[in-house]
Amino acid sequence: MLVFAPFEGRAKLFGAQSFVLDNGLEVVFIPNRRAPIVKQMLWYKSGSVDEAPGKGGSAHLLEHLMFRGTEKISGQAFNRLMEENGAESNAFTSTDVTSYHQFLDVSRLEPAMFAEADRMRNLKISDEDFALERDIVFQERKQRIDNNPTAQFSEEIRRVLWQDSPYGRPVTGTEEEILNLSKDDIEAYYRRYYTPRQAVLILAGNLDAATARRLAEKYYGKIEGEAEELPARNFPALKKVRSRVEMRHPDVKTPRLLKVFATSSYRHEAEDVYPLRVLAAYMGEGETSKLYKKLVLRDKKALSVNADYNPLSKSYGTFSIGAVPAEGVDTAELEAALRAAWDEALQELSLDEIQKTKQKMLAGLVYLRDNPEDAAYVMGAMRSIGVPLDEIEEQADRIRAVDYRSLRKIARRLTTQSPQVSGILSPEGEKNAL
Amino acid sequence: MRYRGKRRGWGKWIAVAVSAAVLFFAADARNWLRNKDELRELAANSELGKIKFEAKVTEITSPRLRLKAYLLEDAENPIVSVSFIFKNAGYASDNAGEEGIANMTAALLTEGAGDYPGAVLKDELESRGIRVAFGADKDDFTGSLLTTKENLPQAVRLMNLMLTQPRFEHDDIARVQKQMINALRRQNENPNQVLLLEFNKELYGSHPYARNPLGREKVILAVDKARLQKFGQDNLITANLITGIAGDIGEEEAGRLLDAMFAGLPQSGSLNFVRNADLNFDNRSCQISRDIGQNVMLRAVGGAGRTHEDFYPLYVANYILGGAGLTSRLSQKIREEKGLTYGVYSYLSLDDKAPLIVSGFSSTPDKYAEAEALLEQEWKAFAENGASQEELDKAKKYLTASNNLRFASIENISAMLAAMQKYNLGLDFLQKRNDYISQIDLDSVNRAAKKYFAAPAVSVRIGSF
Repeated sequence: MLVFAPFEGRAKLFGAQSFVLDNGLEVVFIPNRRAPIVKQMLWYKSGSVDEAPGKGGSAHLLEHLMFRGTEKISGQAFNRLMEENGAESNAFTSTDVTSYHQFLDVSRLEPAMFAEADRMRNLKISDEDFALERDIVFQERKQRIDNNPTAQFSEEIRRVLWQDSPYGRPVTGTEEEILNLSKDDIEAYYRRYYTPRQAVLILAGNLDAATARRLAEKYYGKIEGEAEELPARNFPALKKVRSRVEMRHPDVKTPRLLKVFATSSYRHEAEDVYPLRVLAAYMGEGETSKLYKKLVLRDKKALSVNADYNPLSKSYGTFSIGAVPAEGVDTAELEAALRAAWDEALQELSLDEIQKTKQKMLAGLVYLRDNPEDAAYVMGAMRSIGVPLDEIEEQADRIRAVDYRSLRKIARRLTTQSPQVSGILSPEGEKNAL
Repeated sequence: MRYRGKRRGWGKWIAVAVSAAVLFFAADARNWLRNKDELRELAANSELGKIKFEAKVTEITSPRLRLKAYLLEDAENPIVSVSFIFKNAGYASDNAGEEGIANMTAALLTEGAGDYPGAVLKDELESRGIRVAFGADKDDFTGSLLTTKENLPQAVRLMNLMLTQPRFEHDDIARVQKQMINALRRQNENPNQVLLLEFNKELYGSHPYARNPLGREKVILAVDKARLQKFGQDNLITANLITGIAGDIGEEEAGRLLDAMFAGLPQSGSLNFVRNADLNFDNRSCQISRDIGQNVMLRAVGGAGRTHEDFYPLYVANYILGGAGLTSRLSQKIREEKGLTYGVYSYLSLDDKAPLIVSGFSSTPDKYAEAEALLEQEWKAFAENGASQEELDKAKKYLTASNNLRFASIENISAMLAAMQKYNLGLDFLQKRNDYISQIDLDSVNRAAKKYFAAPAVSVRIGSF
């Protein structure tokens, strides 16, 4: 077969450079010279799983309060400064990380760096702002979860899969937790986790490495840091059980199936990450994948099917398979067909098939360099979880190096040895009294 | 014009990301920044302010078919993006009794073409990293291609096959029909979607904009190969084709690309004329009862289209009222000062036959009435009193300073080049755009505020009232 060679002679994905300031803040610079624009992202290596027990929602509420002012830039001044400088400014919180970012004209980068550095240590939370922002995150949870049945289903799956691990808790916190958070809870989280050593700064855009370094020193270099990084946290080992979640929901109109396995991540049995990435692509990424060809095109048991592997976690990674049954196919029949299709796809695994899968994974990588926002996002998401820079740059090589044996081994282990949940979401159907 | 949070591929990895929905002001701006002069100087004196940036757009004509396109050459990365629009071939112009066929065609063009059955075509596209997308909005049928320079010839050849020799095999049609019907059912799961469909029906009435973009079940099931082919012959024609090309490609090569990509398309066809929507805004409202976590509302008044003389003043006025993100008046009053909602906004909806200003928010039932009253009050106050000079200055600063962000990706650029042609903005639009904003004065903004924001509205709600 025809083989193309993406990244030939240019093995590095981003051509990034990194350096560490004296206070421990790591800075990664990614060049992009097309237009005079730049993305600044400051990633803290802490998210909802780092919250104190019972304090669910602190990481996320803090993220909101970070827009409510410091000693120097008070009240709504941060948002106005961003507006005045034409910045698209936002932030997000996940289980593992919290990220603050601005996309702006490169001529306006310096005020954004000043303000982002300032709020790393100098946040001031007034009682009034605290109460308002707690109401806002409460409304946010209502909007994202209560008005969305599939989000409720996902929360339930996570709760069951992750057992007693903090990964099983909602990133937003539960309603009760949100309403019981205090300013002290937020300040405690802020003091502990918002320090130079526990953050990664990404600058992607039209400047050079020397300038990026000088500006990072100028704005972030003076922030006092602690001597050592916080010790890595241990998360509980999950019991290797297979669970089921069956949710009937009055607002759901059409059934679907979701299986999730807790497996390797970049921080847990990391040697299996690339085989699992190749496996997910082979099995269920896109309409050329094995599961799609079998379940949708040939067997006509499903209208869609996809596999997805997320290795970015400080604990286990997750491998998920989702499917929507065809009309007249019940979820039990679909599950059986999925099992059969998976086994058949493993039987068919060959060097040629692996080569084809790798080719499709590598072919799209080049586009990641194009948009500085994408590049900064991918770099920050991986670097803040601890993936070494070289490894991020050389992903193409890592993917190429996956061999037949490791793939077979990991495929078998995934389904037989991992903690897992099978979930079915379906319409309410007939209401039985009991 | 609305927020679209889709990030291809890698974004999925941060699965449960929750965001502050922050984009960007407020009434009393005195002393908001103690050291604001110092901060202004940071930008004014920045060593980073010296980059010269041209963004030169040229118009090319293909040698053989004499097709025109806008081109922006950029060799930062060895990739090329093409965006095209078949104007007036969107779902509002679907034949009566064939509603939904534009979107169905869009779904089926990638399911096999020429000698390539669907699975083979997709393998070929994916293994070369060639990305193809088709879609239909109310007004237009759109397509896009993203490829590496190395794979450009094959990408163009495949795109041509998809446009001119789609296979429309029975099995593929049957599958897509089932997928569409499933998608129709899923629309009813999400209150925002339910509300939007109801909004369209209430607002547009008998105008084809009232249609469900996916069509109706009965009609979807009646679609066959002959009808799909007829749709293509009638609608996908060079007479209404608009193309934008961006990336690592020169003028001559771009001209040859046009000839190769669109060879074999009919020059003319049979486009259904869609009349301007004559909408009746009379302050009516309708509501849907549903037991959900938050009530959601949408409210619309008539707006001004992209080429209307009021466009820029209205654009700036809307930015101040509800387009600025966190610093807009609506966000300040309803979110930032009261905590009644996670998000409240207004935007200009620029559909060709019925430009609108749309506003909305969602709140829990206990806070909903207060939020809705504030929204009405802010609209009214804005219409009556307009904006202040200070608000206008800030809006201009944001809108001009953020202008270069449109060049974030080659795909954004090619799509923008197509839009520039659709709206006749001119080859030098990118150079002039900031002047168009800077020239807007307070009188014109406040005239627009009075003319548009004081008008009667139509509103719809869903939830527990």
